[in-house]
Amino acid sequence: MRAEEIASKSGQPLVDPKPQDYAPLPPPYDKYEDEPIAELTADQKAKWEHSLDGVSALNLPRPESKEEEERLVRAFLSGLEKLLQKENNWTFLQPLTLSMEYCARCQTCADACPVYEMSGRKDIYRPTFRSDVVRKIAKKYLSPGGKILAGFRGHDIDLNWEVVARLAELAYRCTLCRRCAQVCPIGVDNGLITHELRKLFSQELGIAAAEIHSKGSVKHLQFGSSTGMVKAAVVDIIEYLEDDIEEKTGKRIKIPVNKKGAEILLVHNAGEFMSWPENPMAFAILFDAAGIDYTLSTETIGYDAVNYGVWYDDVQFARVALTHLNIARDLGVKKIVIGECGHAHKALSVIADRLLPGQQMIPRESSYTLLWDIVKSGKIKFDPTKNDFPVTLHDPCNIVRLMGVVKPQREILKAITPPGRFREMTPHGVENYCCGGGSGFAIMGSGNFPDWKLRLSCRKKVQQILGAFQGEMDPSVKKMVCSPCSNCKGMIRDAFEHYEVYPKTGIWYTGLVEMMVNAMVDQEQPFLEWPDEDEDE
Amino acid sequence: MPTIEIEGRTFEVDEDGFLQDPGQWNEEVARLFAKTEGVEEMTDEHWKLVNYIRNYYMEFNIAPMIRKLCKDTGFKLKKIYELFPSGPAKGACKVAGLPKPTGCV
Repeated sequence: MRAEEIASKSGQPLVDPKPQDYAPLPPPYDKYEDEPIAELTADQKAKWEHSLDGVSALNLPRPESKEEEERLVRAFLSGLEKLLQKENNWTFLQPLTLSMEYCARCQTCADACPVYEMSGRKDIYRPTFRSDVVRKIAKKYLSPGGKILAGFRGHDIDLNWEVVARLAELAYRCTLCRRCAQVCPIGVDNGLITHELRKLFSQELGIAAAEIHSKGSVKHLQFGSSTGMVKAAVVDIIEYLEDDIEEKTGKRIKIPVNKKGAEILLVHNAGEFMSWPENPMAFAILFDAAGIDYTLSTETIGYDAVNYGVWYDDVQFARVALTHLNIARDLGVKKIVIGECGHAHKALSVIADRLLPGQQMIPRESSYTLLWDIVKSGKIKFDPTKNDFPVTLHDPCNIVRLMGVVKPQREILKAITPPGRFREMTPHGVENYCCGGGSGFAIMGSGNFPDWKLRLSCRKKVQQILGAFQGEMDPSVKKMVCSPCSNCKGMIRDAFEHYEVYPKTGIWYTGLVEMMVNAMVDQEQPFLEWPDEDEDE
Repeated sequence: MPTIEIEGRTFEVDEDGFLQDPGQWNEEVARLFAKTEGVEEMTDEHWKLVNYIRNYYMEFNIAPMIRKLCKDTGFKLKKIYELFPSGPAKGACKVAGLPKPTGCV
């Protein structure tokens, strides 16, 4: 498909991603038949733009008048111009400009993109399709003589509302996993172009997925957490975790909060407190046993390490990141340790460094490396036979590909599982595939977007997970995916539910610290919980 | 905004059928929403669960975590699914008038 077709005024979707085109899954899903993505209802179709692929992630309303339509198109173009100006985009101008200027159209990135591959290679999902549209609009409308030369240069996209509406949705068909950037021979970052597009839409047109903006970063700033959790709730939850730890382990542990002068501020994704409380519990048990001098924060925003701005908006990003850093500074900690949350790693480490220059940065460390230090210290005795089941490891994109933290989590798994139990996915490490929930997808659930993500963006991960356990698919053999990231866990949970993975294969998921505590010699009872045990309780 | 009509009364709800305005909630509303969840009659056990969730939300602005919900009400997860077939989050919380959960949950 040519980039110019994005301007089509037919009102019809450019593609229909049909199940017969999807890449196949391995056994026992080799005969699995996907249901088609649900069509939007007539009412939804009338209300929401859906002319990209029949899917609405943003519930983007049609402009109510011609004037409104023209205003939005103008806002898009002026936003694009701002993205390419130093004074308006000092944060990402350099990598954006390089990525806009230097694509050689070799399409090496296409085969690296899980969405493109799993969709059955639909052109619109190709990493370069989106970028080419943006590039051509910039050349035609923002370069000298661009409009006159457009036809000759092959840049002739007619910028209309249809283009803007389709691009807005298209910015939310990419998980920002940046596998494309990794394989590009000249370092073009199509993921960054997608991010910049989202930023343009959010900051200039007020268009963003509700789950990440109005119900996400806005709630984070208003209440202290994107979950809506207020300070009193965290206090209540921490007290509950202490009770639960005592019940599970027989030992009362005090979880330190707001401890001035502690060496470490440990920050969790607040979703862990609500959906996977075993994760902060396991951290507390391990840190206590290893004698780590740390604290949690119950200050507003300090108890939720997420920063959804990293997906779509530099301003929202900066507001949250600055608060995180200020809280750490007020506590006087030596460093911040980031729990099992990939986007928090990206936000608080890599992007904070880029966006907040001149700040008195507090050192930040991944929990993975600290946990490996704990294992190496010998302060905790582990009995690998307690984790005697097949295990594979999911690599969160932001911690592994982006930050290069590859070895610690593997060394930990080798130390806490019996020989031969841990097997890698293919590929893994920095070449991993996204869980499919990156960039906000794990929590985005409007319209028929859940259907789209469950079939296309997380399909590659499902394929990989099944691949790792081939030959052991008997559901009575319990198997574990270690997925040390809240967002990835959420996506894997939803994918497993959709594909009925546990009943069909016996594959379940957990984080890294839970597996570590499960292997502790001092723990009399198993710490890990499997779903059927849970129901029998 | 989508609406839902139950026994002649109309409520504004989100796409997933959660009540838009938590302030509209009362016991009668809970009874009506329970019917959409396949619960024809709200027994004492249903109320125990719904009231717990409701009170937790009023105090803390979030739904209680499931572990805590089970522990404090004394209901096993299986029992909660018996009471509300779509489960604690999609069933019981909806009847308790909570908005759909947000964030990384």
